[in-house]
Amino acid sequence: MKHSLARTALALAATLTLASCGGGGKATFPINVTVFNVLYPGLVLTTNGSEQTVNPPAKNADGSIPPVTFAFANQIEYGEVYDVIPKGANATSLGQMPLHQTCSPGSNTIPFPKSGTAGQLARIELAYTCSLNTFPLGGTIKGLTATGLVLTNGSGTGNTYAASPVLDANQKPTGADIGFAMSPVPYGSTYGVVILTQPTGQVCTLTGSATGTMDDAAEKAGGVKDLLVSCK
Amino acid sequence: MNSSILRAGIVTLACALGLSACGGGDGDLNLYGSVSGVTKDGLVLKNGGSEVAVVAPYLSFQFDSRVATDDSFNIEVAKTPSNVESCTVVNGKARANYYTIAQISVFCQVKTHKFAVAVNGLTGSGLVIVNGADNRAVAPGTTSVAMNPVNEDGAYGVSILTQPAGQTCKVSGGDNGTGAGTMRDTDLNGKVVVSCA
Repeated sequence: MKHSLARTALALAATLTLASCGGGGKATFPINVTVFNVLYPGLVLTTNGSEQTVNPPAKNADGSIPPVTFAFANQIEYGEVYDVIPKGANATSLGQMPLHQTCSPGSNTIPFPKSGTAGQLARIELAYTCSLNTFPLGGTIKGLTATGLVLTNGSGTGNTYAASPVLDANQKPTGADIGFAMSPVPYGSTYGVVILTQPTGQVCTLTGSATGTMDDAAEKAGGVKDLLVSCK
Repeated sequence: MNSSILRAGIVTLACALGLSACGGGDGDLNLYGSVSGVTKDGLVLKNGGSEVAVVAPYLSFQFDSRVATDDSFNIEVAKTPSNVESCTVVNGKARANYYTIAQISVFCQVKTHKFAVAVNGLTGSGLVIVNGADNRAVAPGTTSVAMNPVNEDGAYGVSILTQPAGQTCKVSGGDNGTGAGTMRDTDLNGKVVVSCA
């Protein structure tokens, strides 16, 4: 009787000790995520049955966007596999992205993969980086028979477009229509296409939405493609 | 005995010929790297006595003479293009092996110049002018608008995004007379004019 009482007490003590050591369960791993440059709402990331909505943070005083950091609600156990993806992402869909933005795994400072096995590394840490969607800006050049026409969209590397006339089999210019595209423009950005230099011996005029903003209407239309350069 | 000496001699000779045919260097590693920020001729890099000019499309360089494994190399900027502020060589000094020669890059910073647009006769509110992605709301009474600086030899082209209430503004000046041109080697102040009436 005495013995069994003592045994029970021992067992109880052991249980208490275990409980105070962290429940006696296996080690678990939080899945830590950092998302850079979130400007618009809509991003939902998911893994192992957890979901996290990532909203744009308040801007810093200097106007920069601080990174958003979080850990998924469910921690995973040693040996469990994780794969953090935008909700609904599959072969044909990017999943739930922010409005006007696309986010992809990785960053300069956190180069770890979006998927892995808990315990591979001491800590599960991964990143997504979001960038603004860009849209085409272009149109048609009509009647160009000479060289030298250059269009520019303001300043900046790669913002100019030099046009050459269409030539026939005898290397004579035909004046046929030329489709052109400037560098794609990010959502929300303004653009202003102008003629930087006229072709030799011809005068071209530019009509259509040559100056504007890549706004919701332009996004819905898949970009601005109605610029018309008429050369005489 | 005789034949073995002869064989060694022939092999040595063949090796020497083979090496000299390989471009004059005494090694088998090409010394190369990436280049960024260069828009025109003028960048010359040197490694000891050998020089290489960086040519269009100005994205990479490779010295003619090769280096041998464990040779020291020290790539320096000998000349910069006229529109470049300065260039820095990253990982340009090391002993040559397959790892170190794959790490060399040259970064150049193109000069920029201030760009201010003159505004005449603006009394209405709502005027927005753009130089591509660079946009500025212009208040009534403004006579000069500072745009973002523009790269030397880079293009600019000012246009009107939104006309002010009750007025119509036009852009003139610049190289082409309608507000577009190429940035030269000094600040461009008041040469592009927005006139409102």
